[in-house]
Amino acid sequence: MVTESAHEFETRDLLLNVGPQHPSTHGVFRMVMQVDGEVVRDVIPYVGYLHRGAEKLCETMDYRQGIGFMDRTEYLASMNAELSYVMAVEAIADLQVPDRAQWIRMILVELNRISSHLMFMGAFGVDAGIIGTPMIYGWREREAIIDLFEEITGDRMMFAYFRPGGLAWDVPTNFAARVQEVIAAVKQGIKDLDGLLTYNEVFLARTQGIGVISAADAIDFGMSGPSIRASGVHLDIRRDEPYLKYSEIDWNVITATEGDVFARYNCRLQEMWESVRMVEQCLDRLEPGLIMPEKMPRMLRTPPGEVYVRTEAPRGEYGIYLVSKGGNRPYRLKVRSACLSNLQALKQMSVGQYVADAILVLGSIDIVLGEVDR
Amino acid sequence: MTSENQPESATDSTPGATLDGTIWAEVDRALAGITARAERGVLDLIVHIPPAEIVRGLRALKHDTTLQFDYLRCLTAVDNEDEGIDIVYHLYSTTARHNLTVKATLPNDDLFIDTATTVWRAANWLERETAEMFGVRFNGHPDPRTLLMPEDMDDTFPLRKDHPLAEIELLQGDGMGYTEEDR
Repeated sequence: MVTESAHEFETRDLLLNVGPQHPSTHGVFRMVMQVDGEVVRDVIPYVGYLHRGAEKLCETMDYRQGIGFMDRTEYLASMNAELSYVMAVEAIADLQVPDRAQWIRMILVELNRISSHLMFMGAFGVDAGIIGTPMIYGWREREAIIDLFEEITGDRMMFAYFRPGGLAWDVPTNFAARVQEVIAAVKQGIKDLDGLLTYNEVFLARTQGIGVISAADAIDFGMSGPSIRASGVHLDIRRDEPYLKYSEIDWNVITATEGDVFARYNCRLQEMWESVRMVEQCLDRLEPGLIMPEKMPRMLRTPPGEVYVRTEAPRGEYGIYLVSKGGNRPYRLKVRSACLSNLQALKQMSVGQYVADAILVLGSIDIVLGEVDR
Repeated sequence: MTSENQPESATDSTPGATLDGTIWAEVDRALAGITARAERGVLDLIVHIPPAEIVRGLRALKHDTTLQFDYLRCLTAVDNEDEGIDIVYHLYSTTARHNLTVKATLPNDDLFIDTATTVWRAANWLERETAEMFGVRFNGHPDPRTLLMPEDMDDTFPLRKDHPLAEIELLQGDGMGYTEEDR
């Protein structure tokens, strides 16, 4: 595009391609930025490089087989992804989940939220130019959580542990002690990250006032999770439409008002403390009991119907729209991706920023391309 | 109105009494002048709106002072084969905190519907995805490119029921893919 100039020299905006393979894009994501010097004038995001057709595949598999595909959409918070899916099946099949299974689910999804946010802290620190230390701090405690998950489920990322009705099997007998160990380590890890980044003057200068999005715009774009709460929108499905046992424990919804990159970072950081509190309360309430309903059919069949189940995943609303026409498999399954909707607002947040800050803006909405592309 | 408008009996709903305790009364009032029909879903109220009136209906729901559906959770489609394609909108109000599912049924010979991007910008990418996956066209969409599919893939619609899976799924055994007569 040619811009008008008062002089005889002609200046021209540059098209700058970032990705699909680029460390700043956190996966296979491509954006074409139109830059005027150092300033971003337009952003065209391209997604779809990781599209695997999970929705279509789920239509051909029975309900239990679909769990594995959910893991592979949101691979940094598989527990949360599985939770939406099994809750959708439970809602349509009218299954009652035993209390113990619900408390264990809650511990695991909150731990997974912490591990996902820790990963964000590490990657975001690198985006902000602090190579190394935040990544190591973040991944150290994430590793502790993943080790725990491995002991429980047998896998480090693709758990396939939740089942419609409850859990695949009960947790090991040393579960409570191990969770407490992990929580102690995580608390230290959050403190370390907090001390390293939150009050770091260079970090503050890089993140404050950058990529601001207003509450009205965030709602209009359908943003969710910490990315919308940082803009001052009190929106948290765990509180607004409680599922599991969120209404029975004491916790706060973390919000900020600035709507900038730092606010989104800080919301995630504070959310980890809330998750720690939640896990501790869940552990106190955990009692022996059933982990699956007593009468479960070998092959789950659902009556015709449809349901849209939404849960609060680390990145926002992870929704499952499930249509059943009877039988043992979904007729239609749609995954509502939080990142897809958050990513739509990227242009709104990046235009007018410097190129280096656009990378931070992208980092601050914490995308998982597996979830965007499904 | 050209849609076939067949009730799906998605739930064991009978009109009238079963809608007690839902927001149907307010929705019906907000949709004055539009022939809407409601049924009770598993979690949320489902409202059927004719495709020709969809944008007017959605805008009325968004701007109604008590309903305030300012948030588009999800937009997708369901291929009901002979009964046409349902466009499904999942709405939420961030202030009143209630949900609504809106459906518009498109007949198979007229897969056009007006874009909801004029109501919520959130509809933009969701409509692009729905268009490429189901072959539905959103009239007036500001950016009608493909989203997840390759740019030149404009004649196959993967999430349609008549779209087969790749060969490898057929080889995985019974129950894993389409059988020959399904194709």
